[in-house]
Amino acid sequence: MNGLDAAITQYIDPYYLRIMILLGINIILALGLNLITGVTGQLSMGHAGFMSIGAYTSAILSMQFGFSYLMALLAGAAVAAFFGFLIGIPTLRLEGDYLAMVTIGFAEIIRVFFLNFEPGGKAVGLSGIPQHTNFITVWLIALLIIALNTRLLKSRMGRAFYAIRENEIAAASTGIDTTRLKILAFTAGSFLGGLGGGLYSHYMYYINPQDFGFMKSIELLNMVILGGMGSIPGTILGSFILTLAPEMLRIVAEYRLLFYGALLVILMIFRPNGILGDVRIYDLKKRWGRKEVKTCQS
Amino acid sequence: MFWEQLLNGLTLGSTYALIALGYTMVYGIVQLINFAHGEIYMFGAFAGLILVSFFGFNLIAAMLAAMLFCMLLGILVERIAYRPLRGKSSRLSALISAIGVSIFLSTLMALMAGTNTHRYPEVIAHQSYHLGSLDLSLMQILILAVSALLMIGLQFMVQKTRIGKAMRACSQDLDASYLMGINVNRVISFTFAVGSALAAAGGVMVGVYYNAVWPYMGMMAGLKAFAAAVMGGIGSIPGAMIGGLSLGIMEIMGVAYLSSSYKDAIAFGMLILVLLIRPQGLMGQKISKKV
Amino acid sequence: MIRGRKSRWAMLLCLLLAVALLAGCSSNKEAAEGNKDADKSQEEAIKLGFLGATTGDVANYGIPGKKGMEMAIDDLNAQGGILGKKVEGVYEDNKGENSEIALIATKYITRDKVVAMVGDPCTGLTKVAADIAQKNKVVIFSAGATGTGVVEIGDYVFRNTLLDQFAVPSVVDWMMNSKGWKNFAIITSLNIGYSTALTPVFQEAIKAKGGKIVIEDTINNGETDFTAQITKLKNAGADVLVFTGYYREAALLQNEAKKQGLDITLLGGDGLYGHDLIKLGKDAVEEKVIYYCGFSSDQPSPETDAFIKKYVERFKEQPDMFSAQYYDAVMILAKAMTDAKSTDPAVFKDELARLKDYPGVSGNTTFRADREPIKSPICLITVKDGEFFLLEKIPVKVQ
Repeated sequence: MNGLDAAITQYIDPYYLRIMILLGINIILALGLNLITGVTGQLSMGHAGFMSIGAYTSAILSMQFGFSYLMALLAGAAVAAFFGFLIGIPTLRLEGDYLAMVTIGFAEIIRVFFLNFEPGGKAVGLSGIPQHTNFITVWLIALLIIALNTRLLKSRMGRAFYAIRENEIAAASTGIDTTRLKILAFTAGSFLGGLGGGLYSHYMYYINPQDFGFMKSIELLNMVILGGMGSIPGTILGSFILTLAPEMLRIVAEYRLLFYGALLVILMIFRPNGILGDVRIYDLKKRWGRKEVKTCQS
Repeated sequence: MFWEQLLNGLTLGSTYALIALGYTMVYGIVQLINFAHGEIYMFGAFAGLILVSFFGFNLIAAMLAAMLFCMLLGILVERIAYRPLRGKSSRLSALISAIGVSIFLSTLMALMAGTNTHRYPEVIAHQSYHLGSLDLSLMQILILAVSALLMIGLQFMVQKTRIGKAMRACSQDLDASYLMGINVNRVISFTFAVGSALAAAGGVMVGVYYNAVWPYMGMMAGLKAFAAAVMGGIGSIPGAMIGGLSLGIMEIMGVAYLSSSYKDAIAFGMLILVLLIRPQGLMGQKISKKV
Repeated sequence: MIRGRKSRWAMLLCLLLAVALLAGCSSNKEAAEGNKDADKSQEEAIKLGFLGATTGDVANYGIPGKKGMEMAIDDLNAQGGILGKKVEGVYEDNKGENSEIALIATKYITRDKVVAMVGDPCTGLTKVAADIAQKNKVVIFSAGATGTGVVEIGDYVFRNTLLDQFAVPSVVDWMMNSKGWKNFAIITSLNIGYSTALTPVFQEAIKAKGGKIVIEDTINNGETDFTAQITKLKNAGADVLVFTGYYREAALLQNEAKKQGLDITLLGGDGLYGHDLIKLGKDAVEEKVIYYCGFSSDQPSPETDAFIKKYVERFKEQPDMFSAQYYDAVMILAKAMTDAKSTDPAVFKDELARLKDYPGVSGNTTFRADREPIKSPICLITVKDGEFFLLEKIPVKVQ
């Protein structure tokens, strides 16, 4: 733990601080996936693959090539974005569950690659990664990403993303370049995946390929869908719930995963479109505004 | 050695195919990736284990009983976790619900049976036959024969019976089938029941063949079977069979002649390649999309 | 209208959840504070944190470890605790995941105020926790991490297992000279760090002694289909199969070998120690599996004997290596605290580092100057009549 965090720990329990940092990282990762799956509607079940690329690349760059923290993070994210671009290309031909399978396969290939990757320590993993990530950096980056995401989704391009999700053919017929935008969504989403991975590896001190398995991808997907597809507040809420729920459920000890599984089912039954399905920040503002008007009238 | 490895691959592949059939049938009708399917397969394996070791059932009786048990389990899962979601939510919500069920069921079994691997008693004495240089074991013959039988039976049911006709109708258009007077909910329940029964049969056979079952066996098997179903063209029954068999053979041949370290990467790489060349899978039909 | 109602529901639900979670947070905090008050009245018990998984893939190592630790703590308290203070164990399940163990280690240190943590059985996980322990100046004592780069993290980091780098050369020597095995097959469990770290140790030792590796292969931990690997092995002409993974896969490999009519001895490290090896393998592992470790229930040491009896009485099952090593770890920590007359990690860690010839239930332990444990002798264990059976004891030659 470094200086700034040490100062914070005087006021916050380090245990909560740790959870808050992980929450920040999860929000960044989930927002990336939200862009691909939530907003553009391209089901990706391999987000942990991008995360591992970012985590390994940035860790190796800062450990062995003396990159500065920021440069390592950006480089890791850029490499992940490049692979996101590559995975985006098959979306031209594939859709729905076929695409999901390609993303699963891609993440598995990446995992197997790192299991055989000598500089990454194979299954032993990579340890001794400098711990640069702290509360301030994570949340500064997270807030920045949230702000950029909000702006993006409000823009013309953001609406085009939503249009692709709702109906690709209709979107194309209104002159939206669906091919370019889908690849763009994948690239941007995996950039955030790589960024989150870099933050993670520079926080955890130690990473190994099993950290980024299929279950991690599923966990991230849960965050996006549970909170509400395509909604930024929803994704944040989903990350919040799924980062904290396991901690809260620690009381029930070995029944924890039982409750976790049941929680997913129950939440989906009662809120089938996610807790904040398609609620956007500016929608909320509008809605509260309208409500005020209503009360005035009555 | 080649023929022996091919046989290994066929055996492994036919267990994938049995699980993949359940995925593909459910998908064909409700477009849901039933992630809990791997867990049903695991429950089937455990049900068989309990029947064989505590109640002294023989293999066939245990397999039939496990299939029956999993039918009920499959129907139950569908009623509790999927039906309330149907029609009022996106497919992805149902997917999360399925993941929830999967986590719930595997943890439940881990709590009941412990996290360790259990040995399957030897229900059939091990026996091997020599065909030239080829070693063929009784269990391998049995797995191939039972899988083939079940698949032919399924194909017959889907193509020739009334309920099969209803299933095919539902897979083409759920709403239209409903309007034509088909009890859609019953057809869906039935589909889950049949798919689950096939998974259970797969579970019992895998247990007997490898002498081992454990609570987390469903996860990876489910993923591989899903891959098989997609490769064959999801929704297509012959596709699931071909997809399962080819995935099994690819995996074994990858270990035998390429590199066992990259086994999964080879299998998934081939899968991606197949999908890039034929986006609808090996046997899938290309559906032109309309607005 | 409907949309409006729906989103209002969404807001309500969202609010409820947030409140519930916050309430959970604060009630937890209160509970923790309540605990702290309770502790004060008890006049500060000495707390030890348990690191290990009780669910998930590596729960097989954590669960017996936890039992061993519980027993050690009860034994200590029956003797009056450490320095007259009661000893208390804190147990959390880390599921074998890095992020979990990091959270738990932080929780132990900052909220439970433990003086030492015992665990984890896995090398990688131990490293994560060791880094946190070192930075917060709390002792961590691993009861199972056999890989490299553990105690190098810092002077608060200890472990008590038979290190592979010391044991393997002697074992290879025994294979070649006592058994006459010259052609080796090596199978690695690709996805576990323990195995990928152990394989090169074997490779080097075999090369150094002039043995020949005829085939190298890998499997994945957690899989059941090893047909292709065994078919390959059948045609390779190896005298012995060195398998560096865990017992579950060892049993399944031997099962498959037996089915394919391959008669070969499988030898590996202490990862093969687990009663599931026998339960799963039955006659396929009978005298066909050998592993080396620092613990044998056949050792005539009186400490081991008493431990096994008590353990069986309490848990109705045989102890395994992890129960014995966790038990020892707690006892060694207690000894260091007693000898140093302090429960301050900064003080008793130096006493701990001076440990010499401690007669534990898992063998004799001495810490070298670099805090690496030297355990002697090596026990070579096989399976006979459905029980683990001490085949031979060979001395460790540390260069």
